[in-house]
Amino acid sequence: MVLADYFFAPFFRRYFYYFDSYPIVIQIAILLTTIAVLATFSAYAVILYRRYAGNRHEKKLARINPDLDNYITENIILNEQLATGEPVNQIVLPMGIFEKSLYRRRWVQQATIDRIIHYRKNFGGEIGGLLKKLYIDLELDKVSFKRLKSVKWDKKVKALKELTAMDMSIADVNILPLTNSKNRELRSEARHAYIKLSKNEPFKFFDIVTEPLLMWDQLELFKIITTTKDISIPNFARWVTYSSNKSVVAFCLKLIVHYNQQQAIPAIEKLLDSKDHYLRENAINALGKLKAEDTENKLVSIYSNQPLTCQLEILKALGRMGTGNHLEFLRHEFLRSADFDVRKNAAKSIINHKADSASLLKELLDTATAENALILKHCMNPLIKY
Amino acid sequence: MQETFLERVQDFYEKLVFTYGTTLLITYAFLAALSLAAIIHFLRRNKNIDYTSMLDSPIVPGISVVAPAFNEGVTIIANVRSLLTLNYPLFEIVIINDGSTDDTLEKMIREFELVPVDFAYNIKLVSQPVRKFYKSTNEAYAKLLVIDKVNGKSKADAVNAGINACAFDYFLCTDVDCILESTTLLKLIKPVMDEEKHRVIATGATLRMANSCDIDQGVITRVRPPKQWLPRFQEMEYLRAYVLGKMGWSWINCVPNVSGGLGLFDKEIAIKAGGYDHQSFGEDMELMTRMCRYCYTNDIKYAIRYIPITLCWTEGPSTIKIFMRQRTRWSRGLAQLMFAHIKMLFNPRYGRMGMVVFPYNFFFELLAPIVEFFGVVYYITLICMNMINWQFAILLLVFVYAYSVMITTLAILWDQITFRYYKSWREVASLCLMPFFEMFIYHPMIMIFALRGYYYFITGKKHGWGSMTRKGFGGNNAGAAVAAAKP
Repeated sequence: MVLADYFFAPFFRRYFYYFDSYPIVIQIAILLTTIAVLATFSAYAVILYRRYAGNRHEKKLARINPDLDNYITENIILNEQLATGEPVNQIVLPMGIFEKSLYRRRWVQQATIDRIIHYRKNFGGEIGGLLKKLYIDLELDKVSFKRLKSVKWDKKVKALKELTAMDMSIADVNILPLTNSKNRELRSEARHAYIKLSKNEPFKFFDIVTEPLLMWDQLELFKIITTTKDISIPNFARWVTYSSNKSVVAFCLKLIVHYNQQQAIPAIEKLLDSKDHYLRENAINALGKLKAEDTENKLVSIYSNQPLTCQLEILKALGRMGTGNHLEFLRHEFLRSADFDVRKNAAKSIINHKADSASLLKELLDTATAENALILKHCMNPLIKY
Repeated sequence: MQETFLERVQDFYEKLVFTYGTTLLITYAFLAALSLAAIIHFLRRNKNIDYTSMLDSPIVPGISVVAPAFNEGVTIIANVRSLLTLNYPLFEIVIINDGSTDDTLEKMIREFELVPVDFAYNIKLVSQPVRKFYKSTNEAYAKLLVIDKVNGKSKADAVNAGINACAFDYFLCTDVDCILESTTLLKLIKPVMDEEKHRVIATGATLRMANSCDIDQGVITRVRPPKQWLPRFQEMEYLRAYVLGKMGWSWINCVPNVSGGLGLFDKEIAIKAGGYDHQSFGEDMELMTRMCRYCYTNDIKYAIRYIPITLCWTEGPSTIKIFMRQRTRWSRGLAQLMFAHIKMLFNPRYGRMGMVVFPYNFFFELLAPIVEFFGVVYYITLICMNMINWQFAILLLVFVYAYSVMITTLAILWDQITFRYYKSWREVASLCLMPFFEMFIYHPMIMIFALRGYYYFITGKKHGWGSMTRKGFGGNNAGAAVAAAKP
């Protein structure tokens, strides 16, 4: 208040003759009114400036992007030397438009990087290689590497995105520490980059990861792992057995299922003894999807001691395996359980046995209660998927 | 002696109102700062995410989109088609025909090649009986499930039936006439999948008015602020409520409500909390309160998150009559909620909900129209008795006016920082003009309609379920006003 009085009181005294004589509440109100008016006009100025700057940037991009597109089309996509089978690293790209001083400006360099990455996402093979050569010839890789050394995490993330998109190798010593960064976005991007760029052990960070892999991280990692070409896929059972990070184990189970790693079944089976419900549930789900028939008996034997989520997964797994060995168990659960979801999943699993369960289905339809018959009809209807 | 007593009462009242007003203004300033932090944080974290590349992932959680429809015959086909354009790897659309008396159901059956199916329906939440379930024989509409039920006289009853039929662990509750952005599901599930320490029980995003937007085949192709003044006031109000208010509350995990127009919910918690209350007029806020209460009672560390981007466009009331009906119902719902859960007020057992969210709602949402009303009466009395200091009164009025304009302008700025939805600066300017008139036109209306809602609440006046009279979006539906009958 003293400060406000010191700075503002003389101002107001000039324009409001009676300012000093006003009660303190009125003085504060006058002060805050002034601040509000200034803040409102500042907001207008910022809105206008942001719109102006944004529109100007868009216009500038609209001016240079056609030139970049023309250059890339003529010299990369329709490159004659490439058509004659000349190796990419021996092709000399004309500098053309890039010799103009405009292309030494920072924003133009960034626009060029973005445009090259845009094309690189759509073109692989030799054209992709030539785009990478252009990126290096224009020394844009140095721009990205310089950014990687920035202290700001968002700049590092941007650099990692660029280098990954251009398939530039980054030394393990630079990238591995980032895979455990305290900043989630940086940590996540470093992991993506490591998987894409590491030629030796792309999954090494699984060994050192201490922070949990969040569901969103898993979604992104899954996408990268399953879409990166030439990546050597390890036996994920290694982490299922040894990792102390629950989220890494759960994620590896999803990868095992995706790559149908049958050799991982014994490791997954050991998880059935885990005290963690979440892990057991994921393990049962994986065993079902892998159709691990040898584990069927164990699944049935542990059924009664499991929480509902695990029980439902066991019922689903038996349906996926569809061996017919435990139809009687499924029948029992369908008829005896009081839980709606148990009955529904048991019914689905019986139906999944197809021809093997035809006579049982007929019998159940004939003898079941109205509600159970409805469940069976629901599960048998091909129009209803869930 | 009597004069001294009156003076004391007057002095006490003035001090009370002063404290109330000051606290409210400080809270708004606080929210403005928090929301800016939340928006910047959101933008930095999300600017590099390529959502489209995730749209074919096999490991996302499934989501059921639940949309009730009552007498929506004019717009139902376009609305369902709009929902079918949603882009997400694993989802279903559950449309609940809540006993419509028009041709809503017949139109859907014809258009989407629906046939009745035997559906195993597990009644976890109470609702009016379901007559039939329909699925499409056309593979293109395989995600669609239509439930035909007896009219329950409320959206809550219809949504409860929809939740019972949901196949997935999360459900998105929306109005069938809302237009959703195609990646809405992925953007709303992200906060759920991205949370480290809490269980995210609900997420929401900004809603905007669709009134003057260009719409093609149920997809927004050009965003514009409404041309009519009433919907434009609402657009301004929504921006302030979502971008500035809820984003600020989200930053400190104190979101009071996830809008009924667009909200993604954890189905397990919603069911355990008892689902929507079909007797409530503010069913969305009521459910949210019970979900939070359930989490506190069961020691679940929960979070409710909001994102500042606009994912849903809705048609705002364009006549005062419909607007009055809507706001009366909302305020009645708020009064119902406050009295039903009054034990939560300042109850430390309910953590932030009891100590922050509830007191805020009680004092600055529920009581605000009453305080304002008595303020106006007091003002007029002082004027009549010639007891007013005009110089100070005008200075204080100017202050409140300038402050309210500032807060709304900041909300518009925050929205512009999030994304430049409007193409031209003229459109932004047309919205920036609205705060200048709010105090004289829009705000008094809100106050009066709120008091009307409280009156109905106190007197227990029967108030039908307010299905809004809609004009429909674009194409053949434009201008075809649907006078929805009230059950």
